Amino acid sequence: MAPLQTPLYAWHTAHGARLAVFGGYDMPLWYGSAKDEHLAVLTHAGLFDTSHMAVVMVDGPEAFDLLQFCFTTDLAACLGPRKAPLKPGRAVYGAFLTEAGHVLDDAIVFMLGGTSFMVVVNAGMGPAVARHLTDCRRGGQAEVRDLSGQVGKMDVQGPLAATIMGEVLREPEAVFEGMPYFAFKGGFGERPPAVGAVVTRDGVPLLLSRTGYTGEFGFEIFTAADAIAGVWETIVATGQRYGAIPCGLAARDSLRAGAVLPLSHQDIGAWPFCHHPWPFALPYMPDKSQFSKPFLGGAALEPCQAPFTYPFVGQDLRKVSPPAEVLDQDERVLGQVLTCVTDMAIGWHANRVVSVASPDRPPDFRAGGLSCGFVKVADPLPWNTTLILKDKRRQIAVRVVKDIRPDRTARRPIQTMLQPKEE
Amino acid sequence: MKELSELNLPEDVRYTKDHEWARRKGETFQIGITDFAQDQLGDIVFVELPEPGDVFQNGDEFGTVESVKAVSELFMPLGGEVATVNAALEDSPELVNNAPYTEGWMLEIAASDPSEFDQMMDREAYLEMLKGS
Repeated sequence: MAPLQTPLYAWHTAHGARLAVFGGYDMPLWYGSAKDEHLAVLTHAGLFDTSHMAVVMVDGPEAFDLLQFCFTTDLAACLGPRKAPLKPGRAVYGAFLTEAGHVLDDAIVFMLGGTSFMVVVNAGMGPAVARHLTDCRRGGQAEVRDLSGQVGKMDVQGPLAATIMGEVLREPEAVFEGMPYFAFKGGFGERPPAVGAVVTRDGVPLLLSRTGYTGEFGFEIFTAADAIAGVWETIVATGQRYGAIPCGLAARDSLRAGAVLPLSHQDIGAWPFCHHPWPFALPYMPDKSQFSKPFLGGAALEPCQAPFTYPFVGQDLRKVSPPAEVLDQDERVLGQVLTCVTDMAIGWHANRVVSVASPDRPPDFRAGGLSCGFVKVADPLPWNTTLILKDKRRQIAVRVVKDIRPDRTARRPIQTMLQPKEE
Repeated sequence: MKELSELNLPEDVRYTKDHEWARRKGETFQIGITDFAQDQLGDIVFVELPEPGDVFQNGDEFGTVESVKAVSELFMPLGGEVATVNAALEDSPELVNNAPYTEGWMLEIAASDPSEFDQMMDREAYLEMLKGS
């Protein structure tokens, strides 16, 4: 089957993108330089075509119950430190599991209204997730619709994202008011009353969300498939004045790995969804002793068996390429490497990892880049354990860490990001 | 990505199917990767090269080039002993992207059989191969 194309395919080819098939779509890997694109998201902003991602709508009186049963996060207890219920205008990350507790896909669930939810899953996964949800439906009171290919999406990620969007949107001050991390406003298609709450100066309705896949401050933007090309052109032109550049999937992959975010079907997949760096995606009670709700796949995770997934960071930028083994210092095989990429924005300094965006970076700091990613091992490991990663051509020593790229900006309040000082 | 017509394919080097090039320099041969190869790899952030004195057969893996995304092997365009390596690539691997046939050269080798050079593709044959791929 020929690869699918997003509505921005012609733009990518006209702008020199190196393309590769990802999730069934011909997508840009980079335009000029994947390294510059990665760095731009830390220093200015990066613009990503993410129209390959799939949207599944779940509507009806039982929509909440259906998602509450199929989604790992407890929708009745997920907002803020006090675990308030999900409410319209808020989104939450989690996963859809099989009966065995394996990952079908990860997702962000956006609550559009009391009985209306938008579920955003990975490229090519719309039909499978829609089928899964339809099969899980107990009554007929929830309508599941796969909108794959019918929604346009792009991400604006980086410290200048709000400043750029401030020029693109009508009444940006009102839009940015009360919009913390994982909040969203507006809408697209025919979904009053939210549609129209966020509109470009050209009058295009958007759903604007404080989410993303880079770990950095910014937005995901959803609109009608036939409107995304115009929105993209507008944001590229505006962004250009602020040093924002279009970015491909290579930068997206290295940014998300440095931000300790999993790639579905690579870092999470056909094994039990637990003992991983994303416990917030499971409905643990505050004391972590048990789950706060019954959900599909949950029984298989209580108690949770192996494997264990850990982030790691290398000593320098050298990588191994999967398939690669994880060894201890006595060369015993502990497991396998899931992801290994280079985050070009970080480097070691005085026994800690520093980023080009770290406020306290040394004045002469020059990020040499560090390999990083995830390993999956059979037994638990203490933090800071040194591991050897071995592929067919080399061995590298890495350290098991809680976090990789420091000083990320994703959670910063919009108001503090609106007029960042240029250095 | 560069169109074929945009590729820099000098006349004074010979090419391999693995996208390495070699240039005769008196008694030795200078080798590196082609403009097509660097364009396909994207940003090169690390180059791993052998030591002077190491000996390789034609087609042997002699090192790696590492982009942000992947690690790729380098293959000897002709057999011989490594005479010199380009030390500048240690600190400036991007030279391979910016000047693949000049400052981005990788090795100089004393060929064990210089006639292997004559069997490599010339510009025209290499371009034909690229058109077919």
